[in-house]
Amino acid sequence: MPNLQPYADPQYFLILLVALVPLMVGLYHGHRLRLWETVVSLAFIVLMFTGHKWGEGLALLAYVAWQFLLVLGYARYRRAHNGTATFVAAVCASIAPLAVVKVTPAVAGHPSLLGFLGISYLTFKSVQVLMELRDGALKQVSAVDFGRFLLFLPTLSSGPIDRYRRFVADIAGAPAQADYVAMLGRAVHYLFLGFLYKFILGYAFGTLMLPKVAQAALVHAGPLGLSWGLVGYMYVYSMYLFFDFAGYSLFAVAISLVMGVDTPMNFKRPFAAGNIKEFWNRWHMTLSFWFRDFVFMRTTFFIMKHKLIRNRVRVSQVAYLINFLVMGFWHGVTWYYIVYGLFHAVAIIINDYWLRFKKKHRQQLPHNRWTQALAIFITFNVVCFSFLIFSGFLDKLWFCPPHR
Amino acid sequence: MKQRLWQIFGPVLCAVLLVAGLLLAPLPLGRLSHGALRSAAVSMSPNVLAGERAKQQALALDYVPFFGSSELSRLDPFHPSALAAKYHRNYRPFLVGAAGTQSLTHFLSDQSMLTQLAHKKAVFIVSMQWFTKRGQNPQAFTFFYSPLQTITWLLQARNTVADRYAARRLLTMPACRDQQIKSALLTVAGGQPLSHLSRQLLTARLQMLRNEDGLFSRFAVTPNERRLARAEKLLPATATPAQLEALATAVGRANTRTNTLGIDDQFYRARLAGGRLAKLKGSQRHYDYRFGPEYSDFQLLLTQFARHDIDVQFVIPPINAKWAAYTGLSMPKYRQAVTKLRTQLRTQGFTRVLDLSEDGDQPYFMQDTIHIGWRGWLRMDRTVAPFLAGPRQPVHYRLDDRYFTKSWRQATVGG
Amino acid sequence: MDIQSTVNNILLDLTGEDFSTRGDENLFDTGLLDSMDTVQLLLELQDQLGISVPVSEFDRSEWETANKIVAKAASLA
Repeated sequence: MPNLQPYADPQYFLILLVALVPLMVGLYHGHRLRLWETVVSLAFIVLMFTGHKWGEGLALLAYVAWQFLLVLGYARYRRAHNGTATFVAAVCASIAPLAVVKVTPAVAGHPSLLGFLGISYLTFKSVQVLMELRDGALKQVSAVDFGRFLLFLPTLSSGPIDRYRRFVADIAGAPAQADYVAMLGRAVHYLFLGFLYKFILGYAFGTLMLPKVAQAALVHAGPLGLSWGLVGYMYVYSMYLFFDFAGYSLFAVAISLVMGVDTPMNFKRPFAAGNIKEFWNRWHMTLSFWFRDFVFMRTTFFIMKHKLIRNRVRVSQVAYLINFLVMGFWHGVTWYYIVYGLFHAVAIIINDYWLRFKKKHRQQLPHNRWTQALAIFITFNVVCFSFLIFSGFLDKLWFCPPHR
Repeated sequence: MKQRLWQIFGPVLCAVLLVAGLLLAPLPLGRLSHGALRSAAVSMSPNVLAGERAKQQALALDYVPFFGSSELSRLDPFHPSALAAKYHRNYRPFLVGAAGTQSLTHFLSDQSMLTQLAHKKAVFIVSMQWFTKRGQNPQAFTFFYSPLQTITWLLQARNTVADRYAARRLLTMPACRDQQIKSALLTVAGGQPLSHLSRQLLTARLQMLRNEDGLFSRFAVTPNERRLARAEKLLPATATPAQLEALATAVGRANTRTNTLGIDDQFYRARLAGGRLAKLKGSQRHYDYRFGPEYSDFQLLLTQFARHDIDVQFVIPPINAKWAAYTGLSMPKYRQAVTKLRTQLRTQGFTRVLDLSEDGDQPYFMQDTIHIGWRGWLRMDRTVAPFLAGPRQPVHYRLDDRYFTKSWRQATVGG
Repeated sequence: MDIQSTVNNILLDLTGEDFSTRGDENLFDTGLLDSMDTVQLLLELQDQLGISVPVSEFDRSEWETANKIVAKAASLA
């Protein structure tokens, strides 16, 4: 049986788009062919987990069953009750499989049997629904809609992370013909931009250049592993990370649009950000907004409502630390992901100090296109440095240098 | 609305047609320049090894393939490429191999030049370091892996012991995971002929890969070419063998001042200095080159050479004796491995074997630990140059399929 | 005090600027409100007007100008 990894090669797009033609014709004429959509989605999901990946497929099945049980069960419970303990238990139970998958490699040294490609993105979706049920923003959840939301093919493996209410509104019907044609126009644009990003620029940085700078950094490592090769690695890796992931996200958005769903964008020229806060409004946006809405805002809300900390500045600092630490752990339980999270928390806290200072001294501080350029330059370098931490290359350089 | 749709999808359709045309049409790609071939002949890069255009065009001229592995990159003044260029020999070496190439990589790499090489001569440097228990390193195989060559081979594979063995071996390599190639390999491994459809699809893919190779492999002047040019300058315009020997000794001495192991200073600084050497003391005590899949993989090469009537001069380079002693390599086991390899060659009629395995203690023979250099290159040249200068002699190879068996791979030969 | 002036007062506290005549200016695009401020805004609305707005309900596009905040608050009151 063949195996098809999402967006891995040009053939995948060809096969998927041909399979989606009936759906496109239907949407163009104002009908959503639900049955066809379901059949194609399930077929492609099965093809993701054939061959030696069958174990991951089983894990996915078990995971989805578990989340259905939790979300539908909680929705039913929430109709009449609103106990905090039950809510916390439901969220913990929903996160539990992901936590096991993230902790197992650090503890046992091998990947967990519960893991499969895309588990973290499904968890974001599930937890989000639980939280909105708790808040009463969501009154009820239909099993069919929840299933379509959780297993939406284009974003299954790596996002972008959509919101349940937005998604359900999109799939309830078909867009107007003019709107759908406009969506197709955007889809083609994103698809080709994605090709440029992932298959040309991402390839050039990741496959052609990265091994060379990595080699240079390992061979010429000076004290603390420092070398020009390492500097090169930092920038090349950052470019690779952006173009690879942004390309991937563009594919996911493009295929969503073809299927008549306006999945939110994930990147908005992140390296043009003038400070770290702005960077997080442009980089992996659906993730950072998810964290903003469901971790940061909730933490500050909780702290302020219960008046745990009086000082507003302190509240935000604590919330940033919690927010980015959680994000770090989410990436994986290794020192470099956690340091990456802390690094960004500290960067954003310092950035806040600076913004307050700037607010106070608005008259004395110059503000022109040169200071703007300097801000972008500094932000870019801070971000690239954080990606060097994130890459795990320092781990290799410092703690397990290759034996030659 | 129809017009709007056409505006969106028209360009996409054109792009698809153009790309398909570019990849599937048999493009007339013309000839590579002599300069490009000169670069390709010494580049040893994956795009040359995994491609076919440069190799095929070079072999149609006066280039002779020098198969090997990492020693080929020891580009000192006495390297075969330097000697051939400086003294206007009737041949020019085309270096096929790099660090990490072993028999299985060579087996595939050969596919793209066997037709050109048939009834001609070749030089093959075979390192005992290939013959580890595991054989071909899968990562290195992936690095040099070429679907183009794999498909070329698949399309002419027959139901023979050799081809079934090759298919089985390739299936163990992670690089051959591609669905189309994998299923064809399974078919060949099972002794079945490829279906008509499968052949057609593979042929189309082959054309695509050929165009890719032709369009995208560029051979710019490489650092290797510059290094060789510098190395050539050190050679006198004319020299007797004795003068060259003296020069090789002098150059070798000048480059091995920092250590007592007779290892090139640069190599020593980069790999062994700063306490790293001490860690390697006794590190090769358990190395054993006597058993493993490499013996049968090597037999694949012999089978090809015999099938295409190629006269091959084999060279077995030595190991730096001081290095072997320092790292505790077992010389008796090493000698047994050499004997086993020589038996495999001799019994099948491969009689041109220059066995240097006992010369590891000669001064300035080795450039570093396991790589031949300076005087070693000159010793090799004394055999290789007359072989390539003389007329082609008939060969009488008698292939024996028992070298594909497990019992041979595990056999001990010699005392 | 009506909702309109309460919201304007809260915004004055949070941003240091008067929005009584700039009801359609986007508060997020200009960087006047950040996530912290929005949490405070929600808490103030809760304290001063008795409107409980869950964090989930906070869709930025529905709260991005002073006028929209007033309308939203009125609808939840």
